[in-house]
Amino acid sequence: MRKLREEAGHTTVASRPVVQLAQHDAPSKKITPTATPLSPELRRLLKRHAHLKREPAPPVSTDRDVPGIELSPGLRYTETCVDWLRPPTIIDAGFARMASVHHDRLLHFDTETTGLAGGTGTRAFMIGAADWIDGRFRIRQLTITRMAAETAMLRTFAGWISDDTTLVSYNGKCYDTPLLTTRYRLARLPNPLAGLAHIDLLHPVRRHWKGQWENCRLATAERQLLGVVREDDLPGAEAPAAWLTYLRGGSARNLRRVAAHNAQDLKSLAGVLVHMARVQH
Amino acid sequence: MNALPDRYDRTDELVLREPGDGRTLAQRLSRRYASRITGAFVVPGREGSFAPLPEDLPTALAKALKLRGIEQLYSHQAEAWKATRSGAHVAIVTPTASGKSLCYTLPVIAAAMQSNAKALYLFPTKALAQDQVAELLELNNAGELGVKAFTFDGDTPGDARQAIRLHGDIVVSNPDMLHQAILPHHTKWAQFFENLRYVVIDEVHTYRGVFGSHVANVIRRLKRICAFYGVTPQFILCSATIGNPQEHAEALIEDAVTAISESGAPTGDKHVLLWNPPVVNPDLGLRASARSQSNRIARLAIKSGMKTLVFAQSRSMVEVLTKYLKDVFDHDPRKPPRIRAYRGGYLPKERREAERAMRAGSIDGIVSTSALELGVDIGSLDVVILNGYPGSVAATWQRFGRAGRRQQAALGVLVASSDPLDQYLIRHPEFFQGAPPEHARIHPDQPLILLDHIRCAAFELPFVGDEMFGTEVATPWLEVLGEDGLLHREGDRWEWIADSYPAIAVSLRSVADGNFVVVDRTNGRQTIIAEVDFSAVPVTLYEGAIHMIQSTPYQVERLDWEGRKAYVTRTQADYYTDAIDYTKLKVLDCFDSSHAGCGRANHGEVHVVRRVPGYKKIRFYSHENIGYGPVNLPDQELHTTAVWWQLEQQVLASAFEDRQQALDGFLGAAYTLHIVATVAVMAEARDLQKSVGSGDGAWFVSADISGRGRLRGGDGQPTTLTPDAPFTPTVYLYDAFPGGIGQSEPLFHRREDLIAQSITLIERCDCRAGCPACVGPVLATEESAADRRALRIAAHERDNATPKALALRVLALLVAL
Repeated sequence: MRKLREEAGHTTVASRPVVQLAQHDAPSKKITPTATPLSPELRRLLKRHAHLKREPAPPVSTDRDVPGIELSPGLRYTETCVDWLRPPTIIDAGFARMASVHHDRLLHFDTETTGLAGGTGTRAFMIGAADWIDGRFRIRQLTITRMAAETAMLRTFAGWISDDTTLVSYNGKCYDTPLLTTRYRLARLPNPLAGLAHIDLLHPVRRHWKGQWENCRLATAERQLLGVVREDDLPGAEAPAAWLTYLRGGSARNLRRVAAHNAQDLKSLAGVLVHMARVQH
Repeated sequence: MNALPDRYDRTDELVLREPGDGRTLAQRLSRRYASRITGAFVVPGREGSFAPLPEDLPTALAKALKLRGIEQLYSHQAEAWKATRSGAHVAIVTPTASGKSLCYTLPVIAAAMQSNAKALYLFPTKALAQDQVAELLELNNAGELGVKAFTFDGDTPGDARQAIRLHGDIVVSNPDMLHQAILPHHTKWAQFFENLRYVVIDEVHTYRGVFGSHVANVIRRLKRICAFYGVTPQFILCSATIGNPQEHAEALIEDAVTAISESGAPTGDKHVLLWNPPVVNPDLGLRASARSQSNRIARLAIKSGMKTLVFAQSRSMVEVLTKYLKDVFDHDPRKPPRIRAYRGGYLPKERREAERAMRAGSIDGIVSTSALELGVDIGSLDVVILNGYPGSVAATWQRFGRAGRRQQAALGVLVASSDPLDQYLIRHPEFFQGAPPEHARIHPDQPLILLDHIRCAAFELPFVGDEMFGTEVATPWLEVLGEDGLLHREGDRWEWIADSYPAIAVSLRSVADGNFVVVDRTNGRQTIIAEVDFSAVPVTLYEGAIHMIQSTPYQVERLDWEGRKAYVTRTQADYYTDAIDYTKLKVLDCFDSSHAGCGRANHGEVHVVRRVPGYKKIRFYSHENIGYGPVNLPDQELHTTAVWWQLEQQVLASAFEDRQQALDGFLGAAYTLHIVATVAVMAEARDLQKSVGSGDGAWFVSADISGRGRLRGGDGQPTTLTPDAPFTPTVYLYDAFPGGIGQSEPLFHRREDLIAQSITLIERCDCRAGCPACVGPVLATEESAADRRALRIAAHERDNATPKALALRVLALLVAL
C-alpha cells in the first residue's frame, strides 16, 4: 500500500511527523496541492471494494433540444397558458383545515429531482409553478441544463413568490419544500418558502379516499376525480435518469417528457384542489 | 449442587468475616496462593488537589454547582477551564472517575448562558450519551440555568428531532449519528452549526485502529461543514490513560491541542495482583483455566461483601461466568438476583436496568465485556477481576480503574489465560508496573476509508478546485468517484449526482455493514432478543450454535444471511459451542523484499479467504469436547497487506528430515511471531492475523488436534503433496482489514527484530517441547494418558524434533547473516 501511495504521489501518514498535522493553522505552509492521478494498482484496489456499480456513459446524442428561452446560461424558461377549469374566485380550503383564499394568490408548484435519497446530495433540476391569470391557467417551468445554473433558477423561482402567496402541492410539505429549503441554504439565499401558507393536497385526499382507491398518488386522484388519462407519460421514477442522460451529453427526448409530465401534474393539482373545495359542501 | 466444581469449601476459609477492603483480601490471596502470583504491587492513593471555583464562572452556574455539593474544583478541572477559555483545543487525560465531564461541562454551559453558543458532544456509545444528559439536566435544574441538552441518536423519535435541531444548546450524540444523520442533512442543522462553539469528544482512546481512522475522517467532514457555516469550533477531547494522548488527540482533529494530564482527584490505594493459573500438566505446559480462577476469586470477593466486577474477553465467556456465579449466589429464584451480566448485544432497556441496579447497590457481582470499560456510571466497586489480558496495558488500567473508592483500598486481579500473549505478559510484570501504556494509532488516509469519506463529503458539499481533504488533495479521488457515476464535474466543481445516500453504505465500526438481529421463536414467539455485529456472526450465529443471553442458552435454528436475522429457540443444552475457523492466503503483489538469513522477508498485498467449516461442542464445567457440527456460510474474503517470510526448498531439505517437520516448524514460528508482533505494533490481537501456507495459495497449514501441521488444499480438505511438488512454506502476518490499516509496513521494517525476539521468547520459555506460551499448544487435553506417555518417550528420543526445536530451527534460518 505504501508503495502504491508513493506511486500515487502521496506521502504516508506513518512517515509524516505529527507536528505537520497542525498545518491547517497556517494555510501559507500547506503542502502544495498536487493532483497527481492515483496509480493503477490503487485504483484496482478501490474498484474491488466499490459499493456501487459503474453506470455506462449514455450515447452521445444530436437531439439536444430543451424547449424554452435561456434566461441565463444553463437556465431554460417556458411559459404556457391553458384554459383549464373555471376556478371559483374564493377557494374554500376548509377541507385542508385552512382559511378561504382568493384564487389569485395560489401558486401550484412541483419539482423534478435527481432522486429520492434525501439529504444535501439531492437537487431539483426542474421547478414547475402555475397560477391563475385572468381566468387562464399559466404554467411556468424552469429547467437547468447545467449545475451552475441552479442558483439562478432558485432566484427566479423566489421572484414568483410574495408574502401572501398560498402554495399548493402534492406532498410538498414533506418533500418539495424541505428539498428546496436545503437548496436555498446551500446556495446561501434566503428561503422564500418559509412561513407561507401551504395547501398540501395529499393529506386531505388520504383522509377522504384512503382504503377506497388502490393508492392515493396524484395520478390516481386525477383519474378518479378528473377523469384524466395520461398518454406517453414518463414515470416519475425515470425523471432523474432523463436529466442525467441529458447532462452527460445524451438525448433530450426524455427530459422533454419530464416537462410534459410536470405540466400535467400542475394542472391536476389545480383540478384536485377545485374539486376538493367543491365536494366539501 | 453436586455439579459445582472444585473444592470451593477450601477457599471459604479466606472469606473475610467483616466487610473487607482490597488490601486485606490482596494479602490473604497472596499468602494462600503465593505460587500463582507473578506480580503484586500497590498503586498508592493520592490526596486531592483542589482549586476554588473560577471567578469568571457565571454566578448562576457557580450557584448550581454549590447546590450540587461542588464547592471547589479539582486542579485539572480548573486548568481545563482556563485553557478552554483561552480558546485552545484541549485534551484532558485523567483516570476513570476523576470528574472529567466537569472539565467540558463548565465552559460549554457558561458559553450557552452567556452567548447562546451551542455544543456538540460525541460519545462512543448511546449509554454514555444518556448518562451525560442526565448529569447535565441535574446541574441545569439545580441552578435553573435554562440550558437545553438532548441526546440525538438512533432512538430519538422523528417528531423530537426538529425541536432538538432548533432548540438544543447541547446535543449529545455519537460519531455514527454525526456521520449518517447529521452531516448529510447539515442544512437542517444550519442554526446549530452557525452557533457551534464547542465540539466535545469523550473517550477518544476508543477511537483507534479502523474505527478511529473512520472517526478522524468524520471530524474532517465536520470541520468542512463548519467552515461552510463560517465557524471554527473549539475541540475538547477526553481520554483514559494511553501512551500518546496529545499526539492521538492531534491526529484525530489534525490541529494542535493543549494537554492536561495531572489529575487532582483523590483516590484510595489500589492493590494489583498478576495471577497465573497453576500448571496442571507440566509436560504439556497446560495450566488450569483462567475461568476457574476468576470464578474462584470472584466468589471469594463477593462472599466477603465486596462489590465485584469481572471482565471477560468474549460475550460467551460473560455468559459462562455469569452462569457459574449465579449457580452459587442466585439459586433461590424468590430472591432478587445478586449477579448480572452486562455486554453489548443486549437491548438498551435491559442495559439501562442493569446500570440502575448496579448504581443502587443491589447487585453484588457483575460480569461484563469491554462494554463497561468506558465511563458508564455504575457506582463504586471494590474488586475488579480481569479474566484474561484485555489486549493492551492501557485497557488493563482502564478496567482496573473501575475499582476504587476514595477512602478505601481497592483490588484488581489480572488472571492470565492460556493465550500466549497472556502468558508472555503475565511473566513480565514490568509491562504493567513501569512501562508506559500503549499508543493509540490511526491511519485516516487508508485508501478505502479515505475514499468512503470523500464520497460522503462530496454528497454534503461539492468539492471546488484542488480542495484538500485532511492532508491530501481530493481531486484524484474525485476522479474515481466521477468514473463511478457518483459525481459530475462542471468547471472546477464536483457535484453529487447519484440517487443514493452514501453514508448509509459506510459503517464506522466494521468493514461490512449490517448488524444481525437474534429472533427468539420459542413457543411461537417472535421477539428480538439481541443484536450481533456482522463480523462476529460467522463465529457466533452459525446454525447449531448455542447463543447465551443472561446465561440462558438459545440454539440457533436458522441463519438468514441476506435478511440479517438469526432465529433461535430456548434450549436445555448442557454445552456451549466454539467455532473453528481457518484462513488461506495468496500473494497478489510484492511491494518490497529483502534477504532474511537463508530466506526472504517480503511486504505486499495479499488475498485472504476466511472460512468457518464447523464448530465444537464443549460441556459446561468439565469443558470436554463432546462433538462437532458443520457450518455452511459464505467465505469472508479480503484484500489486504501482509508481511511474510519464506525459505527455499533446498534450504529446508538440508535442515529438516522431512516436510512434516518443516511445516511444524513454520506453524510454531508463526505462532511466536504473531505474539511478538502484536506487542511490537501494539495491535489489537484481532486486527493482526497469522497464517502458514504456500506462497501461491495452493495449500495452507492448520494445526491438528496434537498441534502438528496438517496440510489442506484450496478447498479446505486435508491433502498431501507429491514428493516432486514445489514446497515453499510461507509464514504470513496480515492486517485483518481490507486494504490494510498500516500495521504490516512497520512490521516489515522491524523484521530482524521480530525474528530475534521470537527466538528469545522460545528459548526462555520454561516448557520442554513447546506450549501455548511459545509455539502453541502441543497436545490438546482430549488426548489420552497413553498417548501422552507415548509422546513423552518419543520426544525424549528425538528431543531435537519437538515443535519448540523445529520452530527455533525455522527462525534460526531466517536470522540475518
